[in-house]
Amino acid sequence: MVAPGTARRETESPPTAPVRAARGQLPMRARQFGTLIGLVALSGVLWILTPHFLTLSNLLNVAEQTSINAIVAVGMTFVILSGGIDLSVGSIVAVSGVALGMALRDEQPLALALLAALVTGSICGLLNGLLVSFGNLPPFIVTLGMMSIARGAALLITEGRPVSGFQPSFRLLATGRIGFIPAPVVATAIVYIAAHFVLTRTTFGRYVYAIGGNEEATRLSGVAVRFHKTMIYAVSGLMSAAAAIILTARLNSAQPIAGMMYELDAIAATVIGGTSLMGGEGTLGGTLVGALIMGVLRNGLNLLGVSSFLQQIVIGAVIVVAVLLDTVLKRKHRT
Amino acid sequence: MKRALALVCVLLCVGCNREAAKSSGKPTVALVLKTLNHPFFVDMRRGAQEAADRLGVALQVQAAEREIDVEKQMQIVENMIQTGVQALCITPSGSREIVSALVKARDAKVPIVVVDTRVDAKAAADAGVHTETFVGSDNYQGGKLAGDYLVKVSGGRARVAILEGIPGHETGDSRLRGFRDAVGSAPSIAIVASQPANWERDQGFNVFQNMLQAHSDIDTVFACSDLMALGAVEAIRAAGKTGKIRVIGFDALEDAKKAIAAGAMDASVAQFPAEMGRVAVESAVKVIHGEKLPADINVKLELVTRDALK
Repeated sequence: MVAPGTARRETESPPTAPVRAARGQLPMRARQFGTLIGLVALSGVLWILTPHFLTLSNLLNVAEQTSINAIVAVGMTFVILSGGIDLSVGSIVAVSGVALGMALRDEQPLALALLAALVTGSICGLLNGLLVSFGNLPPFIVTLGMMSIARGAALLITEGRPVSGFQPSFRLLATGRIGFIPAPVVATAIVYIAAHFVLTRTTFGRYVYAIGGNEEATRLSGVAVRFHKTMIYAVSGLMSAAAAIILTARLNSAQPIAGMMYELDAIAATVIGGTSLMGGEGTLGGTLVGALIMGVLRNGLNLLGVSSFLQQIVIGAVIVVAVLLDTVLKRKHRT
Repeated sequence: MKRALALVCVLLCVGCNREAAKSSGKPTVALVLKTLNHPFFVDMRRGAQEAADRLGVALQVQAAEREIDVEKQMQIVENMIQTGVQALCITPSGSREIVSALVKARDAKVPIVVVDTRVDAKAAADAGVHTETFVGSDNYQGGKLAGDYLVKVSGGRARVAILEGIPGHETGDSRLRGFRDAVGSAPSIAIVASQPANWERDQGFNVFQNMLQAHSDIDTVFACSDLMALGAVEAIRAAGKTGKIRVIGFDALEDAKKAIAAGAMDASVAQFPAEMGRVAVESAVKVIHGEKLPADINVKLELVTRDALK
């Protein structure tokens, strides 16, 4: 879906340097390839173990199930690339979903309701960004606070109850198909293509890498670091809201308790996809593969009838092993 | 390269064998629970597994990591449909939300048996989802059981405090209605306070402590769940009134049974999750064989008292 490995930058170079520093190309490619091989190998194993995995309907099923985490992970990738972290994505999913649900219940036009969700999510992200960049607070603390605030707001405005009773056409966002491809998968593809473009072809994208690579150097070379950092968190909030739209359509209901622990799934997808938690290194293609690995794993373990407790162990192990491989590969290429 | 070729060959062979092994003939039933980290659902699984073994059915039990995660539950249902299960038994994590998943089951022509928590009737009707049956206990009857017990032991004279569950939660509301209807027949039973303690033990403690401050003459507390009842037990102990206030709970948790045996609690309404699991699997098998089922299958409820524990 997305061409992998075109975005590697020399992290130490100032942001005005050419986007593709030749020396940085190979390791990133190799690592991305590694993640992709992991996905293919995992699929191969599942294909051997169960006849239900490699069917068109199941693959579309996995793609649809992965869409929500994949979209949240786009925002997470932006934030982690910039050297930050966003723990509030799950709560932002909930509060934007609730905003969407309440607008729909009040029979507002669909476009307005969708806008309400996107604006709500962006505002939460914007607040995160302002506090991180202008308040000079650690992202961990700011987004931890927002995680609680947004969740509380979602519960408060709904009095803890799910919001439902929408016009039937709304559900088409989840159940509709374009050709044979489910609408959430198409939405995910569009989000990835757009975000990939932003990250690799715009100055904003370059600054995301630059800030994560060396914030001080970026600032000294005249980039409005605070402004761009604020926007990075706003993007994350926007992505959470986009995921909330799909989630709400899927469940045909907006739950104030939705999205719990989504932050961990999104961080996992990003990190499995090869993005460095230190910032400055990583691609969206990797994140997509990371999200797919998690989705395929959950799906496969379900198909195999593996106990849900064992599933948690396996998923945890995969996250650790993926990052371990990543680190080993990195070391190999550096020496 | 050679190695890669060999690998491909092996994969192909296994792939072929696998197709042959596919049709073993045993019908498969999926049981999708809210969670597997609550004793209630662990018991349900045990009952379901015993029935499955007895009837020669392959049972697939899955649950989301968190009880409230309907989206994960939906994913599990979608995945189960992919494996070609012949029937789906489900305890919905959200009465409305789960309907979207059930639509997918319907489209795949997988019959649905709902267990323990009802599917929202209107949402199901709107989506055109038909469920074969509902297997569960009648919470209203359970509340009534508790109310009738109070009328009997109090001689129709009591001052009652009620600890409610989360407002708007069907389970708690039904229990409450049943209890109120039962004690409504006794004119000398007065409900002096009724407040939510949100199913939680510590809130049960706090709320009941406040109630005792406001109404020192309370002689009975009915809690819509045992956790809240156990909280009230602690509040009573703190007030030095153990044994002077009747405590009636719901669920018959192990801790509650111990409290009843020790005399700190009086009664609790017991549900039988293992029985629900058994009936659910049996119902699923009947559906697979083309039998029609009643819309509701009630699983018994029982009042646990100190006499019953002996």
